[in-house]
Amino acid sequence: MKLEAEDITTAYGEALVEVGKFYPNIIVLNSDIADSCKTEAFLRAFPERSFDLGVAEQSLPTIAAGLSLVGKIPFYNSFAVFAVSRGVDMIRQSIAYNDANVKIVGHGAGQSMGYTGPSHHTLEDISILRAIPNITILSPCDAVETTQMVWKMAETEGPMYLRLARAAVPNFHKENYKFEIGRTELLKDGTDITIFVTGDMVVLAMEVHDIFASQGIICKIVNVPTIKPINVEEIIKHGQGTLGALTIEDHNILGGLGSTIAEIYAEFLQKPVKRLGIPDIFTESDDAVVLRSEYGLNVDLAIKLAREIL
Amino acid sequence: MKYSTNKKALDPIVDAKKIQELKLCAVHHRKKLLELGKDLSIRLHYGAATSSVEILTTLYKVWMTYDSEEPQWNDRDRFVLSKGHAAPSLYITLSSCGFFPDSEFKNFRRLHSMLQGHPDRKKTPGVDCSTGSLGQGFPVAAGMALGGKADNASYKVYVLMSDGECNEGSIWEAALISANYKLDNFIVLLDWNKKSSYGEMKGRNDVVPLDKKWEAFGWNVIMCDGHDFISLTQALENAENAKDQPSILLCNTVKGKGIPYVEDNRTPSNFMLSDKQYTEAMAYLETLEVEICL
Repeated sequence: MKLEAEDITTAYGEALVEVGKFYPNIIVLNSDIADSCKTEAFLRAFPERSFDLGVAEQSLPTIAAGLSLVGKIPFYNSFAVFAVSRGVDMIRQSIAYNDANVKIVGHGAGQSMGYTGPSHHTLEDISILRAIPNITILSPCDAVETTQMVWKMAETEGPMYLRLARAAVPNFHKENYKFEIGRTELLKDGTDITIFVTGDMVVLAMEVHDIFASQGIICKIVNVPTIKPINVEEIIKHGQGTLGALTIEDHNILGGLGSTIAEIYAEFLQKPVKRLGIPDIFTESDDAVVLRSEYGLNVDLAIKLAREIL
Repeated sequence: MKYSTNKKALDPIVDAKKIQELKLCAVHHRKKLLELGKDLSIRLHYGAATSSVEILTTLYKVWMTYDSEEPQWNDRDRFVLSKGHAAPSLYITLSSCGFFPDSEFKNFRRLHSMLQGHPDRKKTPGVDCSTGSLGQGFPVAAGMALGGKADNASYKVYVLMSDGECNEGSIWEAALISANYKLDNFIVLLDWNKKSSYGEMKGRNDVVPLDKKWEAFGWNVIMCDGHDFISLTQALENAENAKDQPSILLCNTVKGKGIPYVEDNRTPSNFMLSDKQYTEAMAYLETLEVEICL
C-alpha cells in the first residue's frame, strides 16, 4: 500500500498553532523567514506572541533564553544550519548552561534544502548539540510524529532541538500515535540485521527492508526520534538477536546517530555497526533526491553495507 | 528582605546621610574584594570589579525592587551581569543585601560552591542569568525585557555591561532588536572604563564614539559619572522616564578605582595582589573611610 506523503514543515506550523492555543506562554521567534518555516499561521493566530528578529540568527538563542527566563516557552525558527551553528556559543552558554526552556527549531535539515547548496545544508547539527549537556535532540520521521513532538516540547521543561527536514514523506504513524521523548520505536521486527534510522530517512530504511524481505532477509527497523538522551537499554534490546547494525541518517557520519549507536554497540554488544550517512565532506547543489543518491543515501549502498554484516 | 524604592534621584542635601552610607558601602565592598583575593590566594579581575562598585551599589541599595528571601519573586526587577568577570563584585553586593551569608566566600570558585568563577543562575541566589561569554548577557536581558513587555509586567530589566563587550557583534544585533521593539523597560548601564582585558582600547579595539553609536541605534543615551551616586541615580531616573526607547547609561568609570596600583595601570587585568600591594591598597581605603566619616 502506498502511503500518502505529507509535508513535515507544514505539519509543524499547524501543530504550533494548536499547541499555542493550549499554552499561552508559547512565543514564536522568527528570523525573516516565517514563510519558509511555516510559522505565518501562528503569526496570524497570535500576532502579539510572534516576534521577527530579522536576519539576526545569533540573537535567536539569546533572546529566546531571556524570554524563557521570564516564564515564556520560546520556539525559535531558522534554517537548521543557522539555528544551530550560527549561534552555537549562544546555545551552549545562554540556553544549555542556563538550562533555559528554549525550543530550537531547525528547518531544512540535512541536504533537504538541496538546490541552495552546501552553505544551507545541515550535516553537523546533531554532532554539535550532542556534546552540549542539557539539550534534547528530536528528529521526526513524518508529519504525525512532528505534530506529537511539538506537543511534547511544549509540555516538557528544558532546552530542546527539533530537527526538521524540508520534505514530504509518507505518514508511517497513525493519528493515535503517542510519541514519548527518550523512546525508540520498532517499525518492523526482524532477525538478521537491525537498522537504526532517524528523520525522513525512514523512507529509505523501509525500502531496504522490502528489498531484503524479497530475498528472505528480515531486517528489524528501529526509528530513533530522540537522538539525545539516547535510550541505551532499548538500543541494546533491539541489537540483541541480530548480527549487527546499519544506521541511516541525513547527517555527517561523524557524531550523529551512527556514532551514537556505534558507541553503544562497542560498549555493550560487541557487534559490527555500519554507518550510512554523508562522508565528512561539503556537498553541492542539486535536487535533494539527487544529492542523497550521490552522497550515498541510496538503497544500493545501504544494501552493500548491510551485506558486509550478513 | 524585600526592597522596593520610589526610583527617584538622590538629592545631595536631603539624602546626605544615605549618600554617606553608600560611599562607605563602596569602600567596604572594595576592602572585601582585596580580602577575598588575599585570603584565598587567587587572581581576580580587580580592575573590572572595582570600576563597577558604585553601579552595583546604586542598583541594589538604591534602585531595584527585589526580595532577597524570595530571589525568584516574580515581580522583582531583573538584573544581568553581562560582564560576567565582575562576578566577585556581584557576589559581594548580593551577600550584603542578604541573598546568602558571607561565609559562602570561603569556598569561592571551589568545587560545590554556590559562587562559581562567573555567575551561575542555578547555583547562586539572586543571579537571574548565567553569564561569562561576553556579549551574551545583554541580548538575554533584551529577551527578558521583550517577555516583560509582552506581559505588560511591572518589573524592569537592568544590565551591567562593559565597553570591551561592545566589540562583540551580538551586542549590536540585540541593540537593534531592543530599539525595534521599543523596550522602554530595558535599562543598560555600561561601565565605560576605556580598557579591556589587554589594556587601553584606544587605537586598538576602540568603540568610541559610544554615544553617537547608541543614539544611531535608536537608544536613549545618558552620560553619567559611574562613581558618583547622585549622577548615577539622576541618569537612572532619566532612563525610567524614557518612552518607547531602551536606555543606556554611559557610566564614566576608572578601571581599578580605589586600588591605586590598578588605577595607575601598573598591573595586568587579572592578577594576584602581592602582600605589599594589599597593604597599600587597604591603607588607602581605610584613609578614604575616615574621610567619608568626617
